[in-house]
Amino acid sequence: MATDTGREFDGSGLQAGLGLDDPRRLLRGFAGLVGFVVLWYLVSLTQPPIVLPSPVAVAAEFRGQFLSGTMPEALASSIRHWVPGTIAGTGLGVGAGVALAWSGLLDDVTAPLVRVLRPVPPLALIGFAIAWFGLNHAGAAFIIAVGGFWINFYASYGAVEEVSDDLIDVGRTLGVRGDLDMVRSVVLPASLPGILTGVRTGLGRCWMLVIAAEIFSVPGIGREILRASNNLRVDRAIAYILVLSLMYLLVDVAFRAVQRRVLAWQA
Amino acid sequence: MAGVNRGPASGDELGDDPAGVVVDAVGKTYDDGGTPVRALDDVSFAVESGEFVCVVGPSGCGKTTLFRIIAGLTEATDGEIRVAGSPVTGPTTDMGVVFQEYHLFPWLTVEENVGFGLERTDRSAAERERRVDEMLDLVGLTEFRDSYPKSLSGGMKQRVAIARSLAVDPELLLMDEPFGAVDAQTREMLQRELLDVWASTGKTALFVTHDVAEAVTLADRIVVMASEPGRIAEIVDVDVSRPRERGDPAFGEHVARVRDLIGARP
Repeated sequence: MATDTGREFDGSGLQAGLGLDDPRRLLRGFAGLVGFVVLWYLVSLTQPPIVLPSPVAVAAEFRGQFLSGTMPEALASSIRHWVPGTIAGTGLGVGAGVALAWSGLLDDVTAPLVRVLRPVPPLALIGFAIAWFGLNHAGAAFIIAVGGFWINFYASYGAVEEVSDDLIDVGRTLGVRGDLDMVRSVVLPASLPGILTGVRTGLGRCWMLVIAAEIFSVPGIGREILRASNNLRVDRAIAYILVLSLMYLLVDVAFRAVQRRVLAWQA
Repeated sequence: MAGVNRGPASGDELGDDPAGVVVDAVGKTYDDGGTPVRALDDVSFAVESGEFVCVVGPSGCGKTTLFRIIAGLTEATDGEIRVAGSPVTGPTTDMGVVFQEYHLFPWLTVEENVGFGLERTDRSAAERERRVDEMLDLVGLTEFRDSYPKSLSGGMKQRVAIARSLAVDPELLLMDEPFGAVDAQTREMLQRELLDVWASTGKTALFVTHDVAEAVTLADRIVVMASEPGRIAEIVDVDVSRPRERGDPAFGEHVARVRDLIGARP
């Protein structure tokens, strides 16, 4: 495992991210999972499959969808708007949050605009997504980016506001001159823990927005879930929800490993 | 017997002193809408090149405000600070500044903290590295060079802060209660080390403290401040040869004299 994960994180970080470093916790988690599946199975015996399919049926459907190629194709499609949407939303959100928190002028100028735009849910922008980008990956990426933007914006803004004035003073006495140098050398590293927490929350939120973004028929996991639901194929809907969960888990574990590595100075 | 310098030196004769500091009629009024508060009033004294001067006073006498004004971090309402004849208009790397709470950069290792200021100079990478080695050696932290501040004790953190401020080779070392946050034993050790560093580097030192015994241990001259408004009560010469022992009667006399000056004023 350690050999192919690259330099960003090694096997031990990945193990820690999954909680594998503590066998007792792992065991408890496993027990909880098994308990849930057993309960699900027992309840499913009392219900028609259209209400609650058994875990066995869902597993079979998962396998069928996977082998037929429909599932990998849907996943690949979702990734094609999740990745650019998340990158754009995260990058712009962190950039805007840091800039506005650092610059009083920018903050004053943009404050009313931020207050007006903030309460707009990404889904309300679907009309704009279609008008500006069309029924395609770019349109879906736009919805995802809007959701990711705000989480990162507020996390970064808060993190920069909390940077201690004393560290700024120290930077000034050590020859840091100008906003760019100060932000790069002091403000960003000092606020990195808060910024990365925001990025991590944003990564999860962006996966959730994949479903919303595919409401207007862009192919992907979300559309498969909606289709399956419309056709009362609850087993298929659950199979695709599982894909979403697994992708989220994978991204989160990987990101936590990177986070631990980058913030090693906190440990 | 404690020598006494009545009235602050004008400092004009120190105008071109390469590392001299002149505090010239400095005043500071905080006015944020309510009743204006006069934190400092007509503070004047001079520090000669290579001299060790302590500023002592009761809490609330404006000594930290004075420290921040000298460092260029806070603007004075009246008067000015001159270092080597030039007015201080903002923070400058001619001064190495050490704060009470260390304020190390937690994301940088000891070595990187010490090298922080050097990266903004025109020294080559090899020179910077040599300078960092030198500084780590000076404060005895070579073996902790790769540690992060979090794993260091208070005394070690303050040594890193001192090394960091000295790395860019400032003329003046300016310190605000740097040993206020460490235990008594560590404080005495750090005081001895600071005197060694001062003696071996020949820097000018301006050291703010509320600890009278600390001031008498360290200083050539002590600027004694009084409060409301913060002002100079008196400037006391410390005519005790180094190393100074706390048991020495002359040491005790100076401590008593300074305490008296602080206590005698409202």
